[in-house]
Amino acid sequence: MNYKDYIKWDRMPTTWCPGCSIGTVFKQLAFTFESMGLKKEELAIVSGIGCSGRAAGYYNIDSVHGTHGRALSFAEGIKGGNEKLNVVVFSGDGDLTGIGGNHLLHTSRRDVNITVICINNEIYGMTGGQMAPTTPEGIKTLTSPLGNTFSPLNIQGIITSNKNHFYARCSVYQIEHLKKCMKEAIEWDGFAFIDVISNCIENNGRRLGFKNGYEMLEKVKDDYKINLNPTGLLKDGELGIVKNGN
Amino acid sequence: MKKLMMGNEAVAIGAMKAGMSFFAAYPITPASEIMHILAKKSEEIGFVHAEDEIAAINIVIGASLAGRKSMTSSSGPGISLKQESIGLAHMMEVPLVVVNVQRVGPSTGMPTLPSQGDILQTKYGSHGDYNPIVFYPNSVEECYKYSIEAFNAAEESRSPVILLLDGFLGHLSETVDVEGVDIKVKPREMKPLGSGTRHFTGLLSKDGIPHTKDPVYYRKWYADYKKRINDVAKKYNFYEYLENKDSDTLLISFGIASRVILPLKKEYSIFRPIRIFPMLDSELKKVCEKYKRIVVIEMNDGQYKGEVEKVLKREVEGIAVLGGEIKLKDIKEKLK
Repeated sequence: MNYKDYIKWDRMPTTWCPGCSIGTVFKQLAFTFESMGLKKEELAIVSGIGCSGRAAGYYNIDSVHGTHGRALSFAEGIKGGNEKLNVVVFSGDGDLTGIGGNHLLHTSRRDVNITVICINNEIYGMTGGQMAPTTPEGIKTLTSPLGNTFSPLNIQGIITSNKNHFYARCSVYQIEHLKKCMKEAIEWDGFAFIDVISNCIENNGRRLGFKNGYEMLEKVKDDYKINLNPTGLLKDGELGIVKNGN
Repeated sequence: MKKLMMGNEAVAIGAMKAGMSFFAAYPITPASEIMHILAKKSEEIGFVHAEDEIAAINIVIGASLAGRKSMTSSSGPGISLKQESIGLAHMMEVPLVVVNVQRVGPSTGMPTLPSQGDILQTKYGSHGDYNPIVFYPNSVEECYKYSIEAFNAAEESRSPVILLLDGFLGHLSETVDVEGVDIKVKPREMKPLGSGTRHFTGLLSKDGIPHTKDPVYYRKWYADYKKRINDVAKKYNFYEYLENKDSDTLLISFGIASRVILPLKKEYSIFRPIRIFPMLDSELKKVCEKYKRIVVIEMNDGQYKGEVEKVLKREVEGIAVLGGEIKLKDIKEKLK
């Protein structure tokens, strides 16, 4: 199957803003399906609520777009209901690690055999730009007008605290690496989490002084480097895979 | 052959009889036994002891979409947590059974004591307008029977059906003639995930595509949805009417309260709705016509009384037996 067959072209253009990077990840996932030769009948896409939550509806595959924060629970039920399906969750950092944080702890602890793609843009984008659990310290948002005083959530730490784990950090700039991680994650027998460093220009970047999405992308390029053979956990600014078991 | 069991067990085996093959829940008094019994069946069915009530209902929604008849069970506090996704299941047309073994609220209230305080949260607990089908049995055998009917109604209406119990009924032990209950099980018709290019979403949709800025379409969608549920509900018009020709008073009661007042049938007529929602409008109107006095007896502060008044458009008396205990003697006093 060609990557184009996994996408509902009649629903284009998407709801995403110009300069947003969700579309890149969306398309790379379709390329990954193509490269793996996956049939639609072998796939189910689940998303949460938020900008990236809209992705499910653009795939030409049976998909679920449920309640805010609960994508992992739907996915666990779907996988439990039909273990032959490759269940891929496509959602955002606010959905998966904020309101859905408890499910992240436990779905990963139960090592449910699903793949999670987390568009991590460090902000609540769809609702206008409020502080997320992933927002770095000092960043000004609508709900941290004086600058965020909290340190961001350590997603890598949460996932890798489980005995069996698969944690990949990718970025929307290094897309070959992103595709490689997506493929490995889908093939992984257990809970696989991909933390995709991404950019939100309209509801985060402009407040931080970026002129456009491209400038934010350049910053991602400068800040993150791929480490193909990390020893132990990934350091700040490193992209790669940390895994154990299965 | 008759078998001794408690209400919660009857619900579990009734669900299995109906073809349930996936269950997820979170422990809570007085509903946990349903979970305990089904945990032992985890080689036959999918079973998840979820991290919380919210996960439990969303897991069973996922399993139902994947083709499994699914159920979750809880009590008041857990049902409050599940409410958002009960609405989602209505919007996404997901067949599902949600069991609520009621205890005394609000909040943690009196966890081990029974009540009927969730009548209105059952009907109105999720946000927005919706139209749930709700059954409320009053014996252990009926728990078995109506858990099968709840699955049938869920499959037919493509919606989450609520099976209400109360702490008394869930823990009541009675004999059940399992083979004697003969209900045809409705098969799953909805195609499972992985068989199309459908998009199941909580957003209002038109032809499978989110369509969220059109009030005219929303009103039409809602009318069609409401009619769909009502049409199915009509096939499940369950009630019991014990007519006492010498009485000008009709007692309306359900669940454990209707069991307690049963001896009053010698003096009064009794109407017991089993499908408590959607309301049995025409049956209620017809039955109530000939009675001077109508009294709703329930273990809450008059929740169903208000619903009955809405249907009958006349004044109805209520005996509000607030949760925890119910005594026939007290009810008799109040009826005088």
